[in-house]
Amino acid sequence: METEIINNTSGIKKTFIILIIIFSVFIFYYAIMSMMSPARKLSAINNEFSVNPVENTLVDERIFSDSTYLKLLKEKAFLQSRIVMAETDSIYLTINLTDSTANIEISGVVVHKAKMSSVQTSKILIKGDENIILSMLSSPFTISNAYATIRKEPVMIKMAPKDTTEYKPDIMPDTSIVEPVNYILEMTNGTRIYVYQEEKEKFSDRMNLFIFNIKDRLRDTWSSLKSVALLKVPEYHPFIKMRLPRADAKIIYRAIPRYGQVGIYR
Amino acid sequence: MGNDEIINEGSQPEVEKLRRILRNLLIIFISILVTLSLIIFILFLVPVLKEVTSGQRTVITNNLELKQDASYKKKISLMTRNIQLLSRKYSAYTSGQSYIVINTTDNRFFLYRNKKLIREGFCSSGSYTMLQTEGDKKWIFKTPKGKYWIHGKTTNPVWKKPDWAFVEEGLPIPSKDDFSRYEYGVLGDYALAIGDGYLIHGTIYKRFLGMPVTHGCVRLNDEDLEVIFNTLSIGSKVYIF
Repeated sequence: METEIINNTSGIKKTFIILIIIFSVFIFYYAIMSMMSPARKLSAINNEFSVNPVENTLVDERIFSDSTYLKLLKEKAFLQSRIVMAETDSIYLTINLTDSTANIEISGVVVHKAKMSSVQTSKILIKGDENIILSMLSSPFTISNAYATIRKEPVMIKMAPKDTTEYKPDIMPDTSIVEPVNYILEMTNGTRIYVYQEEKEKFSDRMNLFIFNIKDRLRDTWSSLKSVALLKVPEYHPFIKMRLPRADAKIIYRAIPRYGQVGIYR
Repeated sequence: MGNDEIINEGSQPEVEKLRRILRNLLIIFISILVTLSLIIFILFLVPVLKEVTSGQRTVITNNLELKQDASYKKKISLMTRNIQLLSRKYSAYTSGQSYIVINTTDNRFFLYRNKKLIREGFCSSGSYTMLQTEGDKKWIFKTPKGKYWIHGKTTNPVWKKPDWAFVEEGLPIPSKDDFSRYEYGVLGDYALAIGDGYLIHGTIYKRFLGMPVTHGCVRLNDEDLEVIFNTLSIGSKVYIF
């Protein structure tokens, strides 16, 4: 009887240990695959935007790393991207990482300026080949999806009164309610723009941001786990994370169309 | 001595039981710790590890010998000319004429003349209310966003009430040109049409300025409206965001 119990316990222990080993191997495998994802993304960007070799041969190759040339190329890429957006007649966002500003523009007119208090950029956008990254930035990015703590259009439904006795005049809207503003704009090319409100004076603001971040991480991890389980390298999302004053963050989110365009200068 | 032995024998299972409880608690504690570490590893550490990726960063040079090269000079001057052209093209989008910018989130307006801000203040824009009838008719009261222009200017405008104005008050909808549709003095002294029936006009509800309360039009106070009316002409741009 005692031997049976001992055998059972050691059986459970063995299963437990095997499970732990399998799980650890999977986690290790997941970590390795995840670490491979930026390199995969970088190579995809390189393939898509690499400079034509015929163009290369026309001038001395050293020019592609020359400071004056790269400075001009930056200007050119941003202008090209802004012109494409201005011609659409729509509201668009321009992000200038050099002077830390985010502007809303309509047909070439800057209608709102916001100053970022901090900005963090994905390594891929910094470490990638300058010529290739600038080639990528010469076309505007298009928003494909957004996750936010505020509604894009705060529509309130009001049922029409059946007759004059049911009619109630509108009351003054409550403007004292301050909702935390944090959002993610996901682009069609996989790039993500994270906008967080600068103000963190209340506990609820911090809590809201924490929950928002956890949700994003869970979403990302879940999709990565699914890819890894299918023996695929998970998708890597280059990012730009910025902090803006709450009012500016809200204005930008409400102003840009659901599938709006974004131009980046770095 | 005999008593002590009896006590020791009696406490042996108790100690064993306590040890088992402690061991179980330790296992639970370790399991929680391991699970938490795994969650932290997956959610927080893996994304950090992703960023420790190596990329081939362009080494930016400043070769003086290259700068003397004729093909280099040619390429740089071509590029500078290209940028100047693009820059001129982009600047041309900004109207030299007077224009108005309306911020519907903060309910503020900004009036520009010769690209310089000449007046700013509060306004009222669409309330984002969706009026719905039992018959499934819907109206959404929001100010349209984008680029518009002044289609027409009117002094002492008269409001021709649309259907929703009656539906909203529980009144029957009158015929198209019924006299009850015409209301005098509610739009202020001036109105500027921006198309699709939307107007920039005055208001009798001045306490609501700076708030989203309108049916889609942009309301202003009398003084601001007069300046805007006198500054903007037909064709002037209206940028709403």
